Amino acid sequence: MTDLISLTNVNKYYGDYHALRNIDLTIKTGEFFSLLGPSGCGKTTLLRTIAGFEGVSEGIVMIGGKNMAGVPANMRPTNMVFQSYAIFPHLTVAENVAFGLRKNKQMDKLQKSEAVDQVLEMVGLKGFGDRQAHALSGGQRQRVALARALILKPKVLLLDEPLSALDKKMREQMQVELMRLQRHVGITFILVTHDQEEALVMSDRIAVMFDGEIGQMDDPETLYRRPNSRRVAEFIGKMNFLDADVKSVSDQITVDVAGLGTCTVNAEQAPSGIDTGKAAVGIRPETLAILFDGEKTERETIAGVVDEVVYYGDMTYYDVRIAGVDNTLNIAMKNLIGRPVLDVGAQTTVVWDARSLVLLP
Amino acid sequence: MSLRIYAIAYLIFLYAPIILLPIFAFNDATIIAFPLSGFTTEWFGELMTTKALHGAVQNSIFIAVITASLSTILGICAARAGAMYNFPLKRGILGLVMLPLVLPEIIVAVSLLIVVVQILDLGLSNWTVIAAHVLICTPFCIAILNGAFQNLDPSMEEAAMDLGESRWSAFRLVTFPLVMPGIISSFLIAFTISLDEFIIAFFLTGANPTMPVYIWGLLRFPSSLPIVMALGTILVALSIILLTIAEILRRRGMARVGVKDKGGFL
Amino acid sequence: MWSKLTATEGRRGLLMVSPPLVYALLLLAFPLGAIVLFSFWTQNFMDVDTTFTLNNYREIIEKPIYFALLQRSLFVSGTVTFVTVLLAFPVAYFVSFHVRPDRKSLWLFLITIPFWTSYLIRVFLWKVILGYNGVVNTGLLNIGLIDEPLTFILYNVNAVIITLAHAFAPFAILPIFVALEKIDRSLLEASLDLGESKFTTFFRVTLPLSMPGLVAAVLIVFIPTIGDYVTPELMGGAGGKLIANMIQTQFLALNNAPLGAALAIVAMLCVTAISLLFVFLNRRYLRGRS
Repeated sequence: MTDLISLTNVNKYYGDYHALRNIDLTIKTGEFFSLLGPSGCGKTTLLRTIAGFEGVSEGIVMIGGKNMAGVPANMRPTNMVFQSYAIFPHLTVAENVAFGLRKNKQMDKLQKSEAVDQVLEMVGLKGFGDRQAHALSGGQRQRVALARALILKPKVLLLDEPLSALDKKMREQMQVELMRLQRHVGITFILVTHDQEEALVMSDRIAVMFDGEIGQMDDPETLYRRPNSRRVAEFIGKMNFLDADVKSVSDQITVDVAGLGTCTVNAEQAPSGIDTGKAAVGIRPETLAILFDGEKTERETIAGVVDEVVYYGDMTYYDVRIAGVDNTLNIAMKNLIGRPVLDVGAQTTVVWDARSLVLLP
Repeated sequence: MSLRIYAIAYLIFLYAPIILLPIFAFNDATIIAFPLSGFTTEWFGELMTTKALHGAVQNSIFIAVITASLSTILGICAARAGAMYNFPLKRGILGLVMLPLVLPEIIVAVSLLIVVVQILDLGLSNWTVIAAHVLICTPFCIAILNGAFQNLDPSMEEAAMDLGESRWSAFRLVTFPLVMPGIISSFLIAFTISLDEFIIAFFLTGANPTMPVYIWGLLRFPSSLPIVMALGTILVALSIILLTIAEILRRRGMARVGVKDKGGFL
Repeated sequence: MWSKLTATEGRRGLLMVSPPLVYALLLLAFPLGAIVLFSFWTQNFMDVDTTFTLNNYREIIEKPIYFALLQRSLFVSGTVTFVTVLLAFPVAYFVSFHVRPDRKSLWLFLITIPFWTSYLIRVFLWKVILGYNGVVNTGLLNIGLIDEPLTFILYNVNAVIITLAHAFAPFAILPIFVALEKIDRSLLEASLDLGESKFTTFFRVTLPLSMPGLVAAVLIVFIPTIGDYVTPELMGGAGGKLIANMIQTQFLALNNAPLGAALAIVAMLCVTAISLLFVFLNRRYLRGRS
């Protein structure tokens, strides 16, 4: 795969407000790339600078090897699916989809209508061409927005929170459909979302943004298992944090963790360049376990008291208090056959493993 | 229930004068009072033969058409700027443009009179009336067009640009058709206001009076009152037709973009 | 160059708003400035003397006629406002709360129609209704309620008030209606749920929340009525003339534009002061509640 998009040291100011800070990123052809972050982190601004709706204050945006400076949105090889879908309400579905073909002189009327039918079928709206746009449901609008952009065969499809207006069930269905569609057309997708689950499910790579800068850029698994900072770890999934004191750093790192004691972790479990001194340790709830009666473990254990029980049906989340730590440990347990749901106040044993610790600065 | 009765009584109060118009317009007596004496269409016939009136009507229509066009264009600019952009002093600027809505009309009239006659030393003409009418009609146009522009998704034009259209053709292909009903309705309202406006026209009209100024003259002569009634009947019928068209278009515009109707003009 | 100029949203917005802005500056702000300047000048027939003088204002203060006219004008405007808003509120409330949603715009349409129809003729017709041989008097005589026609309803201040209240009715109804429409209906249910009656809910929830609309209605009726000279001219008789008639006379009959300008300014200042006081008191009232 080759680099399709590259942003070099991109900065964007609105007056005094620094909306994008030193953004450097490259996106490869055919990649499904996500910009993930809380609202106001600049992810939509970044998408709009790629689309050409916002200029950059500093830096270079290249698409397909061409510098995009001064190239307006209508001349860029990108198309966008808007958060509101922006379906033209005065046109039919087919007219909406054909909107971008108006200036295409190579296609005659028949070819255009065939192309419309084809792309409508691809997004699952076969036979909807004559419907009035404002009579469509949310899911259908989204499909029209997709079809309208895809018919132009853009190099990059930009999606601005495309699933946020849909209900949970529809959203999960569309996630799968979008992935299938992206593999089918082979176009680079850039998705903006604040939903970490959505980003993890769909993307090849994710850039997590905070306050206008990229906090971490990695594939979903690395991002989840090896967050490089506390805010990334907090934003993606649940994470327990414990105070830690790094004692020595070599091939392996010796660290003193509050409540757990001294343990040794591998260098890849820590950010590069970590030094001795104060640090934090993160543990995902599903890498901890409660040792139920009759179960055995080879791993480390520590005694605790159940502080809170949240029952989810398939899972139960326990907050367990252990000695020497102010906050409780959140533990996710699958409700397997024969496992009871513990009561608040129950004495229990927590199982943990040094291999699942993440050392954070 | 009692509220409904009150509301209907209020409507009767609102319509009382208008209901009287056709009654006296077809009444066979020169005195505008009860009891009625008989049916006639004489007064309408007399309207047809009054030359001076025809001149005044022509004048007023000329003024109203130009006023409606200009104030609708200014209204589009202001409504679009207000709905789609943030800019410095936005509230103050839009407040100034909307000010004539609450300013006593006599103030608009005398201040323009001073500028035109005393400072610029120009004569009064239809154009002085137009200048003032555009000023007072623009706020109404803005109010109507605001409804059209604010219901518009700002991504809509961006979507058109994203699909290859220029800024202008995005406006032409997407925004313009969507706000068209609002534009026509704004034009009709401005036309109606200008056609009917007297307080300012009385100050600023030139050698050729507008229709309301002409009517004002007639009101002083009791013998011409039945003609005024006949003229009024026609005017009321005409404005009801124009306003009905404006309202239908406004609703159709709302339906077109798929928003729920929330109320009438203003 | 052009694209640089329109580059930022602010510039583009200013560019877009500039035609109406320039128009308003040239034909509203500049003339309003001119009228202020003019009020400090004097005029003898056609000749304008541009030496600065306070004579016009002095004359207004010294001659009781102006003060009397101004006082009467403010009284009429105030009464018209009070009556109009009081009568309009229940109608707006009815349309907002008791009319089916799909019928609301029909009601509003019916309410606004009379407003758009020939103002002069409408005013004149009130003369027909309230006159000596008018609809009211003939009606009352016929049903035997009175023995001779009532005379206190024409050619005086009462007639002016009735006519103006009619003319400005839609102006009062629409802002109140808009404010009432904005009230989240679940707030009223919440109030009932918390133990208020329908009656007390109206005073504790509906009325305070509709206050912005009421204030707008008051201002939009009070301020323009001061400038109306048609209604007092036709309906007011000798004792019903208002300050606007005097301004008109100074400009068009007596050729004393500077004095007319000074009168217009004094009238505007009074109206503005009263309006600001009203808005201020209203804010204090609302704040006092919360």
